[in-house]
Amino acid sequence: MNIGRPKRIIEVEPVTLPLPDPSIPMPEPGRAPAEPVPAPVEPPVR
Amino acid sequence: MSANVSLSRDLRVGARTEPIVAWRTWALSGRRDGTELLLRPVAGRSHPWKPLVPAEATCKHARMHGAPNVDCSCGLHGTRDVDILRRTRCPAVLGRAALWGRVIEHELGYRAQFGYPQLLTVVCQFCFWQWGPHGTAPAVVGWLGRDDLVPFCWPHLELAQRYGMEPRRLFPAEEIDLRLRETYVVDALAF
Repeated sequence: MNIGRPKRIIEVEPVTLPLPDPSIPMPEPGRAPAEPVPAPVEPPVR
Repeated sequence: MSANVSLSRDLRVGARTEPIVAWRTWALSGRRDGTELLLRPVAGRSHPWKPLVPAEATCKHARMHGAPNVDCSCGLHGTRDVDILRRTRCPAVLGRAALWGRVIEHELGYRAQFGYPQLLTVVCQFCFWQWGPHGTAPAVVGWLGRDDLVPFCWPHLELAQRYGMEPRRLFPAEEIDLRLRETYVVDALAF
């Protein structure tokens, strides 16, 4: 397969698997994630 | 200019934090029972893309350079446009792949150091050759022996059988498509 002449070299930072789904928008910094956070578990009363 | 002068001398160098996402096709292999699915390069004898492991480019000239090298054709290939892939040999799976590490950008695509699929779908290679990515949904996936899996639509299965390409086993394409995506933990490529 011919992909033409080289144009430039790009150094891309390492990726950690699994890759994020590109269709799901990332939460903005400082904003709570979309998923509900579980309530803290209270200690048992003795 | 001498033939020994490296092309890299004239290339710009850039950096980015997000992976490059490009089109790619793979051949597909698996066991007789349709399990242990593995994406393989459509050309050459280079290494398969294993599930949950980034594929890493290698070169037969590894003693001389790392992959990808500007003056070689080595590296994990991806294209900017999907139609160019219609010329590839025996494409069984079409997808979008993330590419990272050292990436050489070409006029029509990329050669990368690392890659992993992001979106995948099985395609009837005969439909794909003729019409591109649209209308290439296969009905079945045939196991041809030696672990080769080939997706077919019904008309092209019939045509293949007429020319002596007889799959030993047939699986529903939806079943293999889902299993492939579960194996690689990726989403479906939709059009």
